[in-house]
Amino acid sequence: MTTSFPDTLTPRDRAIAALAAIAIGVQVLEAAIPSPVPGIKPGLANIVTLIALLTLGWRAAVAVTLIRVVGAALLLGTLLSPAFWLSLAGALAALAALGLLRPLTPRHVGALGLAIAAAMAHITGQFLLAWGVIIPHPNLPLVLPPLLLAALITGSVTGILAAHVLADPRIQRHVRLARHP
Amino acid sequence: MTFSSLRWGDGVIAALASGVVVAAFALAYLPDSEASMLVITQTGEPPRQEPLDRAREIEIQGPAGVTRVQIEPGRARCADSPGTRNICENSGWLQRHGEVAVSLPNRLTLQVQGHGPGYDSLHY
Repeated sequence: MTTSFPDTLTPRDRAIAALAAIAIGVQVLEAAIPSPVPGIKPGLANIVTLIALLTLGWRAAVAVTLIRVVGAALLLGTLLSPAFWLSLAGALAALAALGLLRPLTPRHVGALGLAIAAAMAHITGQFLLAWGVIIPHPNLPLVLPPLLLAALITGSVTGILAAHVLADPRIQRHVRLARHP
Repeated sequence: MTFSSLRWGDGVIAALASGVVVAAFALAYLPDSEASMLVITQTGEPPRQEPLDRAREIEIQGPAGVTRVQIEPGRARCADSPGTRNICENSGWLQRHGEVAVSLPNRLTLQVQGHGPGYDSLHY
């Protein structure tokens, strides 16, 4: 397996690939959890995006997230379906929010704030795509407030989980290689 | 420096996000378009408009019997209708622009209308 990779592969590349693989696994597992409300799910894969951001930087977080969106869609059979575009729109919006907050991390903003901002941006991006393209119904804004509330809750949960993961000594052994620009 | 500890920015973001959620609920659900007019549409009849200005009751004769419509300032409801499943009555008070009650046996719809940004109907 190792021989097929070019020698230029850096530890950073390997870390991105490993994180993306974990994120795909989390997202596929999460898809198997029945949701009480359609459109609301915990978004546990975002923990991996946060860890990539806080350890490897924003560009790595973008790479991990895009690989995760495409990879999970391939495994779930939703590639290029509305679910995929919604997933991508949410991911891009969340990455944009994380990019805006990046100068403040980790000194002023920690995993919790990042996760909440990303979750709110995620649902907003999804909503705008859904409203603008998929279901352009004038009443759709009525479902946005509950979705935002759900995003606040799930974002808090994923943020707390991400902080716990980062605080774990077993993880910190690996994240030392990071702290890239 | 550990990653796990909270920063002041976390609190600011959490507070801002909570504010956005509260504002979204307020904007979406506060009654922003009071109904002022009840439009009664019955098959074969011209639409009939009743202003929602004072409490009164009107009775509408239809193919299946009488539909009794109760009107109060700003709202109206189907108080009694010949339908056996009480679909018209169960629509409750109509008070936001666009809300509608239907009596199929009497072939009529009751819809309240207001001003400002409202919506035509809501489907699930």
